[in-house]
Amino acid sequence: MPPRHEPLPADVAAWACEFLGVDELPPEGPFVPRDRLVEFATALKNDHDFLFFVYCAATHYLAEGEPGSDGALPDRTVVAYRVRRLPDRRRGRPTQTFPFRVVVPTGESTPSLAGVWVGADWQEREQLDLVGTVFQGHPDPRRVMMPDDWPGHPLRRDYAIDTAHFPWR
Amino acid sequence: MRMPLDLLLPSWPDPHLDLGEYDPEADLVALNMGPQHPSTHGVLRVKLYLDGETVVKAVPYVGYLHRGVEKLCEKLTYVQITPIVDKNDYVSPMMNEWAVNAAFEALLGVEPPPRAQYMRTIFAEIQRIASHLISIGTWGLDMGGAIGGGATVFLYCLRERELILDLFEEVTGCRFHYNTHTVGGMRHDLPAGWDKRAKAVLDRISARTWEYERFLLDNPICRQRAEGIAVVDPTLAMELGVSGPILRASGVDYDMRRDAPYGAYGDIDIQVPVRTEGDALARALVRIAEMRESARIASTLLDGVPEGPIGALKPVKLHGAVKLKDGEEGYAAIESPRGELGTYVVAARERRGAASPYRLKIRSPSYHAISLLPWLCPGHTLSDVVVIIGSIDPIMGEVDR
Repeated sequence: MPPRHEPLPADVAAWACEFLGVDELPPEGPFVPRDRLVEFATALKNDHDFLFFVYCAATHYLAEGEPGSDGALPDRTVVAYRVRRLPDRRRGRPTQTFPFRVVVPTGESTPSLAGVWVGADWQEREQLDLVGTVFQGHPDPRRVMMPDDWPGHPLRRDYAIDTAHFPWR
Repeated sequence: MRMPLDLLLPSWPDPHLDLGEYDPEADLVALNMGPQHPSTHGVLRVKLYLDGETVVKAVPYVGYLHRGVEKLCEKLTYVQITPIVDKNDYVSPMMNEWAVNAAFEALLGVEPPPRAQYMRTIFAEIQRIASHLISIGTWGLDMGGAIGGGATVFLYCLRERELILDLFEEVTGCRFHYNTHTVGGMRHDLPAGWDKRAKAVLDRISARTWEYERFLLDNPICRQRAEGIAVVDPTLAMELGVSGPILRASGVDYDMRRDAPYGAYGDIDIQVPVRTEGDALARALVRIAEMRESARIASTLLDGVPEGPIGALKPVKLHGAVKLKDGEEGYAAIESPRGELGTYVVAARERRGAASPYRLKIRSPSYHAISLLPWLCPGHTLSDVVVIIGSIDPIMGEVDR
């Protein structure tokens, strides 16, 4: 049976544990506090060679009806990032990826990583458009998929798939 | 491969360039290229600010083909998603199917049987040839019809692609949107004698790849228009998440098939074509070399297709039969003809919705490639923009989703 998640690279995992002050990282990637996100990302890129920006994906979670959370968790968005370092044949290192996540309560914003990886620019724009996550300091916060005057953000969980819009487009 | 960033950064044009220093009425002409321009490969619109004939700033606008696939996937079950994502990258549907099903299988902890793995790999390689044929052919068409080496290349390429579509039609019954992958394996087994016919087609195509190469290289007009145009900086490309032939034409030796093997790629040696020029011509030549390599991989694998079942799960008839665990999330990617095509899935938390994903994001290589345009176009002439768009080979169905 294949591994369910790609294992985290050991040296980076050890560094991230120290950075975040935790003992163990979940295989889906650690949660990084928003105020240290840029610092964390810059270190990943500059000190650990994670040059390749794979994706950034925001997921909206509703507050109520969350099993196992006793309803205490607020309405929030979880932004998942994934970066990669390409194989280093001289040192015999295979290609490795490192995911990390940020929790953004609805109504608040998270720092943009477009200043760290330029690829985050368009990825964050897509999440801003479709999920409505606000990225502070984004160089170009325009909508990318939906029309500029479109009401709402379609990938939010409270946006019904059959929401009617007039005039039909 | 690491290059000092400080050296590279100042030479990149600024995609968010402030045009305040220009008097828009006197100096610059704003020109909308697309969304219905025939050379933008679909409904891409690029707003170009021109100083004379030179592009000063290029702003791509996408979304004209946005169909809300990711929202739709939240309402469909895992088994129903395959035919929907077929339409994303409509030039290589097999890749889309594999990419989503690979993610579901990784989260379910299911491994497809070896025969299914081999079939997937063979289909993917044949599909890669078909996709690159379209890419080379339409790029030749962009470069100026019959004179620029264009219509001839296009017709030759489509002739070969037709043979591949016939092969797939024989297996799946469809010429285009196959719906042949499913969670845990394949739906359709190989018909008797298919391997011989497939090998004949592959031999024919790989014997003809030199024709495309010569069409491009022996044509002075094509060389003048493509050589040294739109050189992609490898560090910038990596930061943007650009992968596939664009990255390999810029000297980065990275291919997921070899570096992070999946499917049956672990059983075979793969020669990855790499060029260092990084210009438009190099990207086309990398694609042609990949076609030759794909034909070799597929032919070799066709010799050793193991016998056995083609699905790890019982044939999934009930559309809600595949369920993932609470709140699991994961990512799986494959190397599509345009680069890394991946799927990020978050499984639903409520037991009621366990048969469909809570969130599904398709990481499409074309979307990243389009974001390269603001860096590539400035400094080139308007006619070069046509060559640049063709050489990064965007598929708008995949960009807009």
